[in-house]
Amino acid sequence: MSRIGAMGMLSALLMTGCLRPAENRAVRDSKVGRAEGGGLSLEVEDGLAAVRSVGSGEVMLWGNAPVFTARATLSADATSNWVLTVRNAMPGAELLAELEDGEVLAVEPVPQVLPTVKAWRVGLRPGAVARLRVAPPGWDSTAPFRFAALADVQEALPRVGDIYARLSKDDSLRFILFSGDLTENGTREQLLEFQERLEAGSPIPLYATLGNHETFSKDAEEYTTLVGRGSQSFVFQGVRFTVVDSSNGTLDPIVEEQLEGWLAASRQGTHIVAMHVPPQDPVGLRGGGFANRGESAGLVGKFAREGVDLTLYGHIHSYYSFTNAGIPAFISGGGGAIPETFDGVGRHYLAVDIGANEGLREASLVRVD
Amino acid sequence: MLSAQSPRSRPLALALVGAFLVLPGRALAQDPEPLSAFELLARSPQLGGSDIPRDLPGRATVGAPRRPRAPDDSLPMPDLGMQSPLPAPELRAMSSGPFRSEGEPVGAEAASPEVTAEGSAADVPMGMPSPLSPHGVPSSPLSPVPASTTALLDSSRSFQVVPAAVAVVPGLLFHGLAPALAGDGHTAKRLFALEGTGLGLIALGGVPIALTGASRRTIAPLYAVTLAGFSVFGISAIANLYSVVSPTFDPGVPASSLPPVEFEMGYQYVSDTSFAYDHFVSLGALARFDEVKLEAIARLAPDEGNTQVRLGGAYRLLGEPERNRAGSDGSSLDAELYGLFHRFPTEGFTVVGGDVGFRGRYAMSRVSPSLAGSFAEASIGMALQGYSYPGPVSDGNLHSQLLFSFGYGVWLGRGGGPFKGEAMLFYDHRKDGFAGGIRGLGGGVVGNFGLRTRALLTETWGVAAEFQAGGALVGRLSLVYALGGES
Repeated sequence: MSRIGAMGMLSALLMTGCLRPAENRAVRDSKVGRAEGGGLSLEVEDGLAAVRSVGSGEVMLWGNAPVFTARATLSADATSNWVLTVRNAMPGAELLAELEDGEVLAVEPVPQVLPTVKAWRVGLRPGAVARLRVAPPGWDSTAPFRFAALADVQEALPRVGDIYARLSKDDSLRFILFSGDLTENGTREQLLEFQERLEAGSPIPLYATLGNHETFSKDAEEYTTLVGRGSQSFVFQGVRFTVVDSSNGTLDPIVEEQLEGWLAASRQGTHIVAMHVPPQDPVGLRGGGFANRGESAGLVGKFAREGVDLTLYGHIHSYYSFTNAGIPAFISGGGGAIPETFDGVGRHYLAVDIGANEGLREASLVRVD
Repeated sequence: MLSAQSPRSRPLALALVGAFLVLPGRALAQDPEPLSAFELLARSPQLGGSDIPRDLPGRATVGAPRRPRAPDDSLPMPDLGMQSPLPAPELRAMSSGPFRSEGEPVGAEAASPEVTAEGSAADVPMGMPSPLSPHGVPSSPLSPVPASTTALLDSSRSFQVVPAAVAVVPGLLFHGLAPALAGDGHTAKRLFALEGTGLGLIALGGVPIALTGASRRTIAPLYAVTLAGFSVFGISAIANLYSVVSPTFDPGVPASSLPPVEFEMGYQYVSDTSFAYDHFVSLGALARFDEVKLEAIARLAPDEGNTQVRLGGAYRLLGEPERNRAGSDGSSLDAELYGLFHRFPTEGFTVVGGDVGFRGRYAMSRVSPSLAGSFAEASIGMALQGYSYPGPVSDGNLHSQLLFSFGYGVWLGRGGGPFKGEAMLFYDHRKDGFAGGIRGLGGGVVGNFGLRTRALLTETWGVAAEFQAGGALVGRLSLVYALGGES
């Protein structure tokens, strides 16, 4: 009897796993940006940065948004001298450290060679809570700006430098929004190599969501550790960017609930939503979109009702321009993974001009090869 | 092969032939050449002419098949041993099992119209060595089947645990291994050939898909070939299991006639984390005419309001009509046309579309006698659907979809009594149903799997049930009311 019960439990778990394959990642997302060490308890708001290390007076973060705030609680017996290093930061990023009562703490920049690596010496106060905000100047303006949309590097990682070199020629690009499949298998080694190549070749940071290839290795545990959340939302210069984990061809209910909050928060503003697997493949016979067409139709309908201005996708290794529920949509999977042949595109990225007040101004295809 | 009722469909028959190329035809079973009683007997199982453990519900077979039974001493059994009128090479050519020199379809003779019409093959004890048969003369050069072979053949006609276990592991990878272990070399060769064909088609379609990056220019035909490969591979995998498990029961036969009108009412439950609905009322109506079948299906969620309606029908291009398929083995090809209306009130959109495609069913007894009672089914088509968003959304979407399904089924019922029906394990590639596709590592590429069964328990009442597992779990149980009854 107990064996039958165990089998039943196992079956139920398997079924649940099949029905919600992204649930573990959604739960794991909530822990991103939290760490303790050396008497410091750190919590990055909304998980917009991954804590790579903390302790012995040093904190290292991997930023996954141009602007983020961390809450640092220092124990009474901890050292007050800390060095905060942020990798994948905006080139002009600055640190603002202040206590809860508004007192601004002393911050001293530490020069770095790489443009996207920033470090500061900051004197935290033992026994107090400090807010650390990392942001470039003008982050809260509503000025229009340009960013690059890219996806699907995968096995072309050794050649990704070509893309960064092309990106470097456009000084107006502020950051790269990456829609998944950074690597072929999502292993720790591959992700570290991706980040090293990014820092070495790109003058601007890359903010990403994961793709299905990242889930091939331990259900994207390494991605969560090294990069950050699969689903998150941030605002830059009045434009909201939301990325969601669609790597299993679905959105987990936890993510969907978060998404509804982000949609509601920017109902009147400019909002860009990006994910890896597109809800709807423009080539219907191929069916490279969501696993359930009803779910995809419901999702893009929700985007339309909530006033989303632009949707960006990956997964399909080519360039597509189409609409979903009336919203402009682009697939820019030109990172170099096995390219779609006969499309005349090749490696590419999308340069998107957008503004908080103007909405989507222009999206241009930029060829790399 | 072709139905005389659809002469206009001859061109489409060519398409069927192409689709069925991977499955060898029952050529000998269709041999119109009249045989003498002596020849018939010479081709009987006692002389190794077949390894059929029982009668076949083949095209020419009408009525219930018979199980192998012990030798009946009252039956006259001529002593053919060393005095067979057939020359030795011919006899050898008709020998069966793994020791056949050529890959001719064994058992086809027993399924021929002549044999079944006269009851010869069915009435004689099959699978049991006769004291007067050559089996008892192992050293005879004319003996079509060596004694060792006989033992294997005889053993293949009863259930064996080891082949059944092997059919699962590693049989799911090596199709044909289980019947080979059971001594059924003919079936083993056919299943290995099917598996090879399936893998070949997968490579034929899959490799170019990978090399072209699933190009929009070539994806449709390549996808169809790849899915066809998976269907052949899947069918041979299940046939592998069926061939060694089937001795435990009498094979079912297709109903000789299905009711002209059926109504269906039941309950459907859907477990999908992406939708608010769960409970549905399931309604259906089916009308069968000579070559045309009309169908209406509705699924209604009373509390949530989700409503799905499918209306359409099928035209029989090949095979006997379901209203009168006496003498048919159930093989058929239909052209299908369906319309779809699906309203999602909570999610705020409506789908209107149409499906067009072909659906074929193939009696597996044509592949091997030991697969009698089972059938393979496959369908291919295309859907075109429009998504509309009432309210503030300014634009909708128009989408196409590749439709593909395959399954392996068994006929329920043995010919006597009102109990008739069928059950089928299937894969369905479509992503717009309640089950959707599997939410897997590759996104939403794979469709859903399921088990569907329908059976009339009396002349007028029956049940239909279905379970599907994709991105959602779907279960349905319905009561069937038939007007006109089944025979």
